[in-house]
Amino acid sequence: MKPAPFALAQPDDLAGVLAALARHGEAARVLAGGQSLVPLMNLRLVRPAMLVSINRCAELAFTERRGDRLVLGALVRQAEAETHPLVRAHCPLLAAALPWLGPQATRNRGTLCGSLAHADPLAELPAVALALEADMLLASQAGERRLPASEFFQDALTTVLRPGEMVRAVAFQAQAGDERSAFLEIGNREHGFAVAGVAVRWRLEAERCAFARIAMLGAGPVACRVPAAEAAIVGRPLDAGAIAEVVEAARAAVAPPTDVHADADYRRHALGVLLARALRQGDGQWASGSR
Amino acid sequence: MSARPARYVGQEILRREDDYLLRGEGRFVDDLPAPIGTLHLAFVLSPHAHARILSLDADAALALEGVVAVLSGADMAALVKPIVAEIEFPGYRRHGRQVIAKDEVRFVGEAVAVVAAECPYVAQDAAELVEVAYQQLPAVVRLEDATRPGQPQVHDEVPGNLYFEGRFATPGIDAAFAGAAHVIRERFRSGRVGGVPLEPRGCLAVPEHGDGMVFHSSTQVPHLLRTALAQYTGQPESSLRVLVPEVGGGFGTKAQIYPEEFVCVALARRFRRAVKWIQDRREELLTDIHARDHLYEVEAAVDDTGLVLGLRASVWTNGGAYSTLPFGCTLETTGGARMIVGPYGITQYAYEARAVATHTTPAGAYRGVAQPTCYMAIEGVMDRIARRLGLDPAEVRLRNMVPTASLPWTNVVGVRYDTGSFVESLRQAMAMIDYAGFRARQPADRLVDGKYRGIGICSFTEVSGTGAPGWRARGLVRLPGFDSGIVKVEPTGKVTAFVSHAHSGQGHYTTFAQVVADALGCELADVRIVEGDTAATPYGTNTFASRSAVTGGGAFIRAAGKVREKLRRIGAHMLEASVEDVVVQDGRVHIAGVPGHGLSFQQVAETAYAMNTATLPEGESFGLEDSDFYDPPLVTMANAAHIAQVAVDAEDGRVTIERYVVVHDCGRIINPMIVDGQIQGGVAQGIGEALMEEMVYDDSGQMLNASLLEYLLPTAADVPNYEIAHIESPSIDTVGGFKGVGEGGVIGAVPAVLNAVADALSRLDININTKPLRPSLLARLIREARARPG
Amino acid sequence: MGERIEVTLTVNQRKRRAQVEPRLLLVDYLRHELGLKGTHVGCEQGACGACTVLLDGRTARSCLHFVAALDGAQIRTVEDVAPSPELLHPIQQAFHRQHALQCGYCTPGFVMTTLELLAGNPDPSQTAIRRALTNNLCRCTGYANIVKAVTAAGKALREGSQA
Repeated sequence: MKPAPFALAQPDDLAGVLAALARHGEAARVLAGGQSLVPLMNLRLVRPAMLVSINRCAELAFTERRGDRLVLGALVRQAEAETHPLVRAHCPLLAAALPWLGPQATRNRGTLCGSLAHADPLAELPAVALALEADMLLASQAGERRLPASEFFQDALTTVLRPGEMVRAVAFQAQAGDERSAFLEIGNREHGFAVAGVAVRWRLEAERCAFARIAMLGAGPVACRVPAAEAAIVGRPLDAGAIAEVVEAARAAVAPPTDVHADADYRRHALGVLLARALRQGDGQWASGSR
Repeated sequence: MSARPARYVGQEILRREDDYLLRGEGRFVDDLPAPIGTLHLAFVLSPHAHARILSLDADAALALEGVVAVLSGADMAALVKPIVAEIEFPGYRRHGRQVIAKDEVRFVGEAVAVVAAECPYVAQDAAELVEVAYQQLPAVVRLEDATRPGQPQVHDEVPGNLYFEGRFATPGIDAAFAGAAHVIRERFRSGRVGGVPLEPRGCLAVPEHGDGMVFHSSTQVPHLLRTALAQYTGQPESSLRVLVPEVGGGFGTKAQIYPEEFVCVALARRFRRAVKWIQDRREELLTDIHARDHLYEVEAAVDDTGLVLGLRASVWTNGGAYSTLPFGCTLETTGGARMIVGPYGITQYAYEARAVATHTTPAGAYRGVAQPTCYMAIEGVMDRIARRLGLDPAEVRLRNMVPTASLPWTNVVGVRYDTGSFVESLRQAMAMIDYAGFRARQPADRLVDGKYRGIGICSFTEVSGTGAPGWRARGLVRLPGFDSGIVKVEPTGKVTAFVSHAHSGQGHYTTFAQVVADALGCELADVRIVEGDTAATPYGTNTFASRSAVTGGGAFIRAAGKVREKLRRIGAHMLEASVEDVVVQDGRVHIAGVPGHGLSFQQVAETAYAMNTATLPEGESFGLEDSDFYDPPLVTMANAAHIAQVAVDAEDGRVTIERYVVVHDCGRIINPMIVDGQIQGGVAQGIGEALMEEMVYDDSGQMLNASLLEYLLPTAADVPNYEIAHIESPSIDTVGGFKGVGEGGVIGAVPAVLNAVADALSRLDININTKPLRPSLLARLIREARARPG
Repeated sequence: MGERIEVTLTVNQRKRRAQVEPRLLLVDYLRHELGLKGTHVGCEQGACGACTVLLDGRTARSCLHFVAALDGAQIRTVEDVAPSPELLHPIQQAFHRQHALQCGYCTPGFVMTTLELLAGNPDPSQTAIRRALTNNLCRCTGYANIVKAVTAAGKALREGSQA
């Protein structure tokens, strides 16, 4: 199918983008890489009257270390971030997750902020953002606001973004040098379309888990952190018994959806399997990212 | 039959098709230049599985700039007769289908209106503006529900939603069961899938002067399509030319004749303008025929040695909402019931076969037709016999197979296996995969490195090259069976060969040229193949059901043989020799044993076309061409053995195919490279069918995964390297000795993968009798098994 | 039809100027306005890869881009891969020799994906090849011969010879 008609604005700077978004309100959508939006437009499931492209806003294409944060602008493409030295150095969990976002061709064009703003229930980045305690930098003509990712995602395909507002950047917490992390997902195919996934980071002090962040996709209507699982592991050595308990805690805490790819029971089970694998394998500074 | 030594047949000759396809110069239907002023169609699809159409308001659509017309079912009914699949078989109930639903819709995706507009974007804009009021009605969706009392009726003409019911029994079947030491029973349920070619369907109708019409379509059956279009639209068949451009995969899906094609021709007639329609992916998944929504209940009477004394099969297939031309909705029903005995010498057999009507997408022919599921059943039964009796599953198969020494063999439903290698194929496949070694290494619990490892076999016969009697046996009275070829030596000595087939990736330009060059005795480079054009090619049954090598090859050998004889006669006359002393070889007509004493094709052709001063022999006609038909036997049986070795992750339920071995016997091989390609592609489709593909419907009849983001096809990361070997048992019943190979890959892969998973999980007492085997299913079965006491 | 937007882009090394409706997809522009029909449409959802082209040197789904938003972009399609009407590119030669195509509908997309892969990784492992090829769906070949072709093409390109 072909998309319904729309008007296109292509401002040269962020101010122009925000002005266009303000002018068109709910009728407008931001066009970045378009890899989540355009498929829906082609199916006419989404039909904005106005698309505001940010592709001419060079100021949004930045990847910077700012204090304990790694900040990526709205125009940073997924494939770019995957190989970016700052990402690999400071957010290995993100680097590990990025190859799983989709085929190379969509990662070449798709942006991180676009995927986050889309809030697909089975997308990888929302889980990574939660595990890396990212802040979402939202901009509108009324000004900027900064929200933790945990407050940003509301429901499947739903965020707190208001009409006229966009994700200007995402600020991930930089991972400490001695931190361990892993991203794992599973699907019905070897590569692509996860049915469940985990983004996990933790730090050991004196062989005990001193800190843990556990986020999951496929665990609810949208990616979520699992505090009960985090609580179950902190203060304990990462032995088989502890891993079994954290898995049980996680399974008890999640409420996964059933869909055409997998039922809730399987997702609950698989999330536990993936979590255990993550805690067993993510034993270096470099995160492991695999099925 | 050809005693002549093969120069090209059997050779791995690279394809002629590749150069233009690799450059992006292949012209598929959407690539054809459409005349200025072409109307583009968009169909309005029913969102309901079952509903009455109360009203249709096209005013808003018609008001859109660029919209030329909106036609309802009633409008179209005046232009196209209702489509009726003419199957003549006891127990079959006929019913019709309007090309656009008039009063009632019967599946989600059925067209209720069509928009014709100046551009495709506008046509789609307008289609959205057509307002249709429906009265929703209850739908029947699942095969298991269709014939229960009180269910909604799909067609008045089909009481109880039973499209077809057929029975067969050998006289000794009850005695076989009465005396059997063991009876093995199982129920096999197969999920619904589709062919899903990468190119969606499309067509372009271009009116020509007078009442002429050129119809371009992404079809596998140009001649059958032309006849059907003429019958139902009134366009005279003699002024209708069907042209098939490159076709981006067919797999049987494009061997059916679809409503859109009739609409396209009818509107081109009505508006006297070119009319084009290109399907989108959602329409492809919703409206192209589906297949394999089957239930098999099978019981086998077995003696203590594992020998099957008798087999009973109850076959249920979901025929969907309508019968489609040309195969109707019973192809898999009659096919599964008739093919299930496979390579086994089962002599007592009974079946009951039923096709039911539901409010789902119509069923039809998809690669493998019935065989992936009937072998899922019989090969599953062979494994169960082995498990019950403590025998090796390969050994059970070998004991039951028809040995080569017993061929020709006529099976229990009357199908003749002329030659073959059932035992040899399986033994060779076992050697290739080191079956004995695998079994020896396989631990009792099947667990290696946290994964359950298993091995699975499918030994099967593969129906190919079906002739007219074969179609009659299945009630398909309007399906001819023959194909035909014309071979022409042109005045310059070059050869043009026309065949009734139409390719969709099989490499016909290459393989048919090999056959013609050998049969005629000319250089391969001098032969050009023409197909897919009803104005140029002779009539035939066309390209599906692994036919082309058998029927097209046979027709070409016959036609070329006649031309070769004429070359000899004219050549002998010119050489002043007797015909018996003259041979045709390597592009020359010469005295046997004296290649230097002879003539080029061009020299002989110039005489035939009266372009020199030489005279023709007394009574010889001008020209240098001939044609012939070839109707193969009832069926031409190929055979194969597939063995899959898999690992099932004990935790997450994912299946990895670690090795995959095929030994295939398609008789005389024309081009081994192309044969391997057919097998590899088929195996990948079978892996998809076994592990991930399924069209999922909810209880209201909505298809839940009508996109390629949700209906998952296997990727390069999901398939193994294939290890393939061949045994050649040339057919003694067909001209040329060829047997088909187009479907064996998918047929063998589905049961082999399922049986391998079943073997891997056998110590957990898990019953694998369904597909697809998604991780969610397997992980649940493993968890449940492990939770069972003991 | 609405307003039209003027764009200038480079397609197969040729500058093109166009006035387009905002909603015109790149693949429809290439196919129906420039006549570059080697880029195919398989799903219009970015799932199949039949429409893969190179956009500024990297693979992109041409069904997921609006031409109007591509001012200044460099596009390369399958028509610009072979060096001459007589010769095929080593990747195309390898596909031919390994029988890595049947119907040919998905093939241009695979060729573009292979160009990107081998440009970034001249000697990819079989795992890397299979992973990269998940960019594209093929329903005919079963992929094994495509994997072989990519391997052979990589070797040919490394050795500067023909595949």
